Amino acid sequence: MGRSVELARIIDGCKSGDADSFAQVVDMYSGRCYGYFYRLTGDRDLSDELLSELFIRLVEKIGSYKGGAFESWLFKIASNIFHDHLRGKQRRKKLLEARRGQLELEPDLNEPRFSDEGEERLDKLQTHLNRLDADTRDLILLRFYSELSFKEIAELRSEPIGTALSKLHRGLKKLRELMEG
Amino acid sequence: MTNPAHEDLVELLRRFMDEPAARAAHEDIQTGERLLETHPAPAPDARRVTAIKTQMAVVALRRHRTVRLVRGSLAAAAAVIVLALIGLLGPRSTDRPRLSYAAIIPTAIWDSHDLTADDLDLAYFSAEIGRIEAQMQALDAGDSESGSGAPDEFENELMAIQTDFWKG
Repeated sequence: MGRSVELARIIDGCKSGDADSFAQVVDMYSGRCYGYFYRLTGDRDLSDELLSELFIRLVEKIGSYKGGAFESWLFKIASNIFHDHLRGKQRRKKLLEARRGQLELEPDLNEPRFSDEGEERLDKLQTHLNRLDADTRDLILLRFYSELSFKEIAELRSEPIGTALSKLHRGLKKLRELMEG
Repeated sequence: MTNPAHEDLVELLRRFMDEPAARAAHEDIQTGERLLETHPAPAPDARRVTAIKTQMAVVALRRHRTVRLVRGSLAAAAAVIVLALIGLLGPRSTDRPRLSYAAIIPTAIWDSHDLTADDLDLAYFSAEIGRIEAQMQALDAGDSESGSGAPDEFENELMAIQTDFWKG
């Protein structure tokens, strides 16, 4: 209860444009949001970019937050930012393909992007997460990093709770099998 | 992470499957989520976090200024609109006490095309002046009708009439 009161106070500060309140939100959520982006992309530089974009958008949109689970609101924005990035990347890929023909192959959109392949290596979990379909991976990571209930997750994703439960169960079971295999 | 949302996952799963299947699914979910816990993602770079905070402060300040500017403009526009509405929808001229105007010049005179005929006073004095002028001309022509002192007498009479005329 104390945490939610404190969070409400911080959000009020954000709505007033208080820089310290924004900094507190960053301290509270940057780790989880960065983890979400990193596990989706497998790329630190890209995760940095997406994290910056998320918090700038938070400043711009905080006035539209009307209560409810703040994590749900924040991760909805995070999810939108990631999907916007994918769409943009898809557009860029199509442009490149049109120009280069078959000469250069772009990496799979669902595969992690390496900023420096020599230095950055993916951990085992990341490798296996990338084997799951994009939607299931997003659901698993959204659930883990947002710490929202299934009801909230289902609302955020605009799908029935049973569908979200079923997808998550199958996805996590497959992930475990991959990790053990 | 073990159910941070404090929801009864088994109970939730039982809405969609029987008890044993719900417990097995719950076990799968917990095991899978434990994998994520034991393989933590890297933390964001501290310098990047500081840069984000600075960037947010700048954007917040800019937005705050913009909002103030927009609010000021809106307030000014609202004031203009309110004043215009007061002008349009305020007490109408028909609601105000009406002033009466009285003409100094009578309507008959104002509308007249021949003042010397329509204004009785003016007509009278014009006729008198005309008559006296005729008499003067007759005397100057040598008519002895009125005697030698007659022109002076007529001049005096004419002056008296003119004085009366201007006195009204």
